[in-house]
Parts: sequence; C-alpha cells; structure tokens
Amino acid sequence: MLEIKDLHAGFDGNEIIKGISLSIKKGEIHAVMGPNGSGKSTMAKILSGHPAYQAMSGEILFDGKNLLEMDAEERSLAGIFMGFQYPVEVPGVNNAEFLRMAHNARRVKAGEEEIDPLDFDDLLSEKMKMLGMEKKYKERNLNDGFSGGEKKKNEILQMAILEPKLSILDETDSGLDIDALRVVSEGVNKLHNENNALILITHYQRLLDYIKPDFVHVLSNGKIVKSGDKSLALELESQGYDWVTTAN
Amino acid sequence: MSDTLVESSAGSAFLDLHKKIIEQGSPALAELQQVALNRFEVLGFPHSKHEMYTYVNTKGLVETAFSLSDGSKKVSEDFVASHVYPGCENQCLVFVDGIFNRDLSRVEKVSANLVPLSESVSSDQDLKKYLSETAENENDVFAALSTAFCGEGLVFKVGDNTQISEPVQVLFVSTGGSPVMHAPRLVWQLGKLSEVKVIEKFVGVEGGYFINAVQDWLLEEGAGVSFTQVQADASDSWHFSKTRVHLHRNSRFHSSNASFGSQLARHHYDVRLQEEGSELRLNGVSVLDGKEQVHNFIRIHHEAPQCVSHQHFKNVINGHARSSFDGTVIVNQGAQLTSSDQLINNLMLSNDGHADNKPNLMIFADDVKCTHGATIGQIDKEQWFYLQTRGLSARVAKELLTRSFAKSIIETIEFPEVVKDLNSTLLKKLEVRNV
Repeated sequence: MLEIKDLHAGFDGNEIIKGISLSIKKGEIHAVMGPNGSGKSTMAKILSGHPAYQAMSGEILFDGKNLLEMDAEERSLAGIFMGFQYPVEVPGVNNAEFLRMAHNARRVKAGEEEIDPLDFDDLLSEKMKMLGMEKKYKERNLNDGFSGGEKKKNEILQMAILEPKLSILDETDSGLDIDALRVVSEGVNKLHNENNALILITHYQRLLDYIKPDFVHVLSNGKIVKSGDKSLALELESQGYDWVTTAN
Repeated sequence: MSDTLVESSAGSAFLDLHKKIIEQGSPALAELQQVALNRFEVLGFPHSKHEMYTYVNTKGLVETAFSLSDGSKKVSEDFVASHVYPGCENQCLVFVDGIFNRDLSRVEKVSANLVPLSESVSSDQDLKKYLSETAENENDVFAALSTAFCGEGLVFKVGDNTQISEPVQVLFVSTGGSPVMHAPRLVWQLGKLSEVKVIEKFVGVEGGYFINAVQDWLLEEGAGVSFTQVQADASDSWHFSKTRVHLHRNSRFHSSNASFGSQLARHHYDVRLQEEGSELRLNGVSVLDGKEQVHNFIRIHHEAPQCVSHQHFKNVINGHARSSFDGTVIVNQGAQLTSSDQLINNLMLSNDGHADNKPNLMIFADDVKCTHGATIGQIDKEQWFYLQTRGLSARVAKELLTRSFAKSIIETIEFPEVVKDLNSTLLKKLEVRNV
C-alpha cells in the first residue's frame, strides 16, 4: 500500500528525515516511536502533503502512485488520512457541515452522488455514538473551543466518516487522560480492518497497550534505527530511548 | 435637472441649487435646511488631511456635477417587491430618490406611527429644537449637506409601552442612471419601554447616484431597538449615511450593518449613551471586491455610569478594494463602571487591497473596563491546509474559511430572512471564481 524508499526530507532547507525506507501493507499497524526531535512529526507532515515541508530525495509510492506529486487534497481523496497532533481550530465552520462536505468530496471523487443530508446525519450520529461523543459536537464549530481530548476524538470521528485506506495518527495519545485514551483507541480499533492500514506516531508506549501494532520502528536523528514487533515498544519503555539511539 | 453642484463654484452655484429645493420643498423645513446650509458653508468640503476624512477620498464625489432629483422617475412594484423581505410585506416604507413614496409603501399596520417630517417639525417644538440644534452643531459636512437638501422625511413614533413585534422594513430605492443627489431623512422616536425592529435596505435601479441619508434615533427610558441595515447599492454609486443615536436610561440599541460597498460608501455613527444602564451593540460586515470601498466613522460617547457598548466590525477585502475604520469611544468624567469593547478584523484576499484602522479610546473616568483592537491578516495557512487534508480543494477550503469569517457577524442578525439573503448575495461575492 505504502512504499517509502530512501526518503530525505525537511523544512526550510534543513534535512530532518535522513534516509527512511518503510513498507506498509494493508491490514497492518505500524508504530513509529522516537524521542523528541527525531523527525516523527516531519514524517507525518511529509506524508500528508504539508506545503512547508519538502522531500529532497527518495520516493513515496501509495498504491503504486507517486505521492510526492500529489497535493494534500489529492492525497486525502486517494485514501490517506492524517490525524493531527494539534488539530486546528476553525471558528465559523460548523463541524457537521464540514464533515458532510468532506464526505461528499470523497463520494464525488468515487463517482457517487452526494449524500442526502438526513442520511448523513444518521451516519454521523452512529459514528459519534461509537466514539462516545455528545450530540452538541454536531452544532459546534470545527474544533473551536474543544478540549484536547475532544479535538482528538473529533479527529477520529473524521477518520470514521472518511474511511481512509491509510491513517497516520500523529501523537493522537498526547493530551488525553486515560479514559479518553481508551475511548479513542477503541474507536481506532473498530475502524481498523484487513483492508486498511495504520501508522501510529507516538512518543509513549502506553497507546500501544490499547492499539496493538504489528511492527514498531524507532526513529532517531531522522533515521529508523531499529525495527521489531510490539515487544520492542515494551523494551523501549523499560530501557528508554538511549538504549537504541546511543547504540547507533 | 439642469442645476448642478460643482465644488469649485460651491458658493453661488450651490446657493442657486439650494434656492430651488427651498422653492420646491415644504416651507416648514426651509428654516432647518437653511441652518444646515449655513453649517455646510462653514465646514466646506473636506481636504485630505481633514480628521473626519483621513481615509476617505471625496475628490471624485465633489467634482461630480450632481443634479437634484425632480421625483419624476418611477420604480416598478415588482422591483420593490423583489427587495421586500418575507414577513415585512405589510409594513414596508419605501423611499424613492430620497422621498417617501406612499403608493409603493405598505403602511396599514403602522400608519398611526408615521408623521411627515414637515408636520412633525410644525407641531413638535421639542423635535424642532433638537433638529435645529443638531444642524447648527453638525460637524460632518456631508450630514450638513444632507439636511440642507433633505426632501420630505418621516418621523416614526412608537408610543410608551408599545411593542411592534413584526419587523418594519425601510427600502431606499435610488433610480440612478445619472449623477443625481438625494437625501432621505428619518427620525425614530421611541417612547418609554417601547420596542421596534427595523430592517433597512439600500438598493439602486441603475448606478451613478449619490445617496446621502441621515437618521436620528431618540430612545426614551427602557426602549429597545433591533436595527439591521443592508447597504446593497449599485457598485458605481456613492453612499453616505449618518446615524445618530441618543440613549436614555436602560434603553438598548442593537445594530448590524452588512455592506456590499460601492465606489464610495461611508457610514457615520454618532451614539450618545446619555443615561445609566443604556446599552449599544454595533456590528458591521463588508465584503468588497474590485474597486469597492466601505468606510466606517464611529464616535461613541459614554456620558453616564453603568453603560455598555460593544463594537465588532469585519471586512473581507479582495481586488483593489479599500476599507477604513475610524472609531473612538469617549468615556466622560463620571461615566464610571463603563464597559466598552471594540474589535475590527480585516481579511485580505489580495495584494492590492487596502485597510486602514484607527481604534481609539479617550477615557476620563477611573473605574471602567474598555478594550479595543484591530487585526489585518490573510487566510490562516494552517486552517487552510487542515481543510485540504480532508479532501477539500484549495479553492473550496479558502472560500469556506472566508465565508466563515464573514458569517460570524451575519449570524448576529436576528432576522432569518436577512441572513438567508446575505448568505446568498453578499457571500456570493466570495464564490470560488472570485477568491
């Protein structure tokens, strides 16, 4: 599904990702872990098409297509979802209306008719129920005045509505209390199936208690310095990042 | 319509033109018009460094040879009907080229409230004194000009303890087609604990005209007003308006203005919170493109303790459009526990647009809470990117963000029909092809 080949990328001419190769197949969950400043968020931004971040060399193929030539909208319509570390507040844009627009953009791309507003409301209610979100979040403006936990739930709600092939969740666990983390994780688990894939970017192991990765990659100084199964995360938790970063 | 006004010969040519309006008009208004004319002569047309017109270039306006409307141009009922909001069909006051047109108006429900200005000035000595003193002390030359040339205006009276629950619409139609000047005049007198909801809309059949409107709102104790103005004139017209508001004890004046702009549109608000507990809300939004302009000039006088004033104005500026905001809140000595805020936000969609902002506070009391601020910015890039990552195109995302910026003011308007109209007309200017 996703092939990253010797990717070098950065921000403002500074190379932050210094040669990453990664292969993700459908049905898989990959966790990317690493200390602060290791390049985790840069990797997420490169994958989502943030205009301030540039790839310097290497390539990324998504379903065989060159992802780096696609803009953020095209990537989304192709089936990539980015769950933001800091979801952006957009005052004045109604949450439910926005979700319907996003859902319809995908339907139109697939050659389907736009969804009837009432049918969409039913769909939205169902997904919100799954995430334990109160109805008032339909009426509120997009992330406007939401708490940290509410914003993260709203990200997963968008994921549920858009049904992406590949979701990249950037530090989705940060700022969540344990109850919210459980709800968000359960939501992600329900959405995951054999036809989609997940990249979990996280600093802490605790998210992986709830969402079980198939692979764990440790990022340090812009490179993947170690890959393994989920036991690697536990080892990191007990020994700290120094264990892998100094070994390389 | 051969008489014209040109700045260079403002003296004799203007006096000749004025003689004509006095001959044509009501003798009862002649005295008031003469006082205003004298004031106009003292003030003169503004130069570029005039405090009140720092950001407003009136050169093109004063160099235009305007005629006076002779009232002969007709407006079709269909045209009027297309601009009357649903729910206002039975109480709609129509002015054509500055003159109240009874045939096109629907006044059955409010006929008892209406008095021609000339009649009111003859019978109500207090009102006559107020208008005369206001004209003598007028500081805005275009408001003086308006009074000097006002046609038969209207006084709308609401008696004590009377609430008019259905909104009253006032439609100002300018026929245009040539440089014609007209000056509609309205006075609203609200008795104790009375309430009225008013929607005003300014439209043009053709362009090129100069509408110069003045209105006075006199609110007695406990009176409440919800006032919505939609400035939707022809884009090649000139629109000047002055709104004076006098608020007595515990009265409330809530105003929202939505402006389409024109080659020069200027709104002047002069509000006096004269007695304890009075409250003002002044909101405004404009969406401008091409060479359209909207300028707001605002003076809020807090003259008594425990009064509240809120101002929030937003401008969306595209193309070569211009806007300005020059607003001062003056808190008099003794106006303790005043609460006042003022915020102006400008969203610039092009590199060639222009916005000037001058929020100002003058505080002479020591126990008050006053804030003011202004922002000028472009589309927030992170918000823009965020929406694109959800599959919205760059253009659709930009339009959504721009609409949401303007909508926050439009949604403060309490009449759903006006909100609906603005969403499909004012915000239409932001459609994808334009941004």
